[in-house]
Amino acid sequence: MDTSQLLKGVLDLAVLAVLRKEDGYGYDVVRRLRSGGLNDVGDASVYGTLRRLYNAGLLTSYVVPSEEGPHRKYYSINEPGRVRLAESGKTWRSFASTLNGLLGEVA
Amino acid sequence: MNTQQARLGVEGYLAGMRAALADLPPAEVAEIMEDVEAHVSEIAAELGEGETLEQRLGSPEAYAQELRTAAGYPARTEVIKKHKITGKLTKSRIAVWGFAAAVVFTVLAGTVSVRDPEPLILPAIVLALSFALIHEQGPELAKVRALPEVQKAKELLNQPVDTPAGKALAYLRSLQPAWWLLRTLLLVLAAVLMTRRDLLAFVLVVALAAAAFYGGPKSKSDRRWLWVTLPASALAAAVILGLIDIAADSVRLSSNSYPSYQVYQERYENIYPFDSNGKPLEGVLLFDQDGKAINAPDVGGQRCPNAEPVIPANKYPRPKIDWQNGQCVTIPPSISQPPPASSEPPTSSSAPPSSSSVAPPSPSK
Repeated sequence: MDTSQLLKGVLDLAVLAVLRKEDGYGYDVVRRLRSGGLNDVGDASVYGTLRRLYNAGLLTSYVVPSEEGPHRKYYSINEPGRVRLAESGKTWRSFASTLNGLLGEVA
Repeated sequence: MNTQQARLGVEGYLAGMRAALADLPPAEVAEIMEDVEAHVSEIAAELGEGETLEQRLGSPEAYAQELRTAAGYPARTEVIKKHKITGKLTKSRIAVWGFAAAVVFTVLAGTVSVRDPEPLILPAIVLALSFALIHEQGPELAKVRALPEVQKAKELLNQPVDTPAGKALAYLRSLQPAWWLLRTLLLVLAAVLMTRRDLLAFVLVVALAAAAFYGGPKSKSDRRWLWVTLPASALAAAVILGLIDIAADSVRLSSNSYPSYQVYQERYENIYPFDSNGKPLEGVLLFDQDGKAINAPDVGGQRCPNAEPVIPANKYPRPKIDWQNGQCVTIPPSISQPPPASSEPPTSSSAPPSSSSVAPPSPSK
């Protein structure tokens, strides 16, 4: 099964999760997702997701000047973001266990 | 990849993205671009030798599309123009305009190239630089293709077939192989004519002719060949103009010098001067404006080469020396025609001025 299809539904959750402990700029978030095992994640998808979460009021951003190259815009999770992360996390866990149950019956 | 190249690549990529996002609110686009600028720069810095941004990230349009979907923006409805880079001095734009200027200058310098090939050095250098800029195929050539001015030129050259312009272009296109052949011949001819002035020019132009002959058919698939074939065509066309100019010069020259020898040496065999009363004059010495004696051809002709020459040779009318009964006979001057401007033509047209012992009425040829 194509994981990129699955990823679409849960990318919000994944991005919020990697920002939970530490703020990060776009490419930083991409790297964290990849090192966490989501190898197929597309750069542009992550940037789009960051914009969507930001516009939904779940993230805040601040710019950090860089000595070489353009400034980096860091995103950090805010309180509504954490609430959403907790809710979505719960939903995912129950969804995953439901699916595991189904697969257990089949296998 | 050095930093300068990377920078231009980044800018081209970002410009493509901005164009693909242009329908979104400007504030939002600015936010997105803040992210993307850092991202693309960072990717560009990571690129290996020969790697391009598009290999890593896909086209700017694809990147923008993926970002739009993930961000939940409405899908773009209007057709996105590829790489809408307007008004920016990019590498590809410098290459294209340098190329165009060099071709124009080749035509100008080419018209005098047969006499003086040296001015051709300038367009040759510009073309070499321009070619160096686009040479790395891949992204730079794609950008050249995407330039608005190049697109416009393409549109002009690809008229619909059912229009008169389209038909004319199709006809010209059918003549292309013939032109390739003619172009080669013209360039070789020009090279041969240049040899007198400049041996290096001969070698270079022959090399250009050969390259253009080889590249003509190839330029259809690999547009980089245009950097050879189009200047070659420009030079060949200019050589035609140059040759026409030289031909016109030589016609002018010969038509100017024509009368100078024909009047005196071929038209007149003898001169018969008269005074205003119609009285024949004798022993008249004729000179031209430079004080040079006006000499009719030798009177003796081929049959009497040993006849005594008339001295001075510009003394008119001359006695006629003729071949009669196996020997050369000197005939005193006589009038063959009445004087043209005289109101009263001399009545005794055959009367010799002096000793009239032998008096044929008209000189025999």
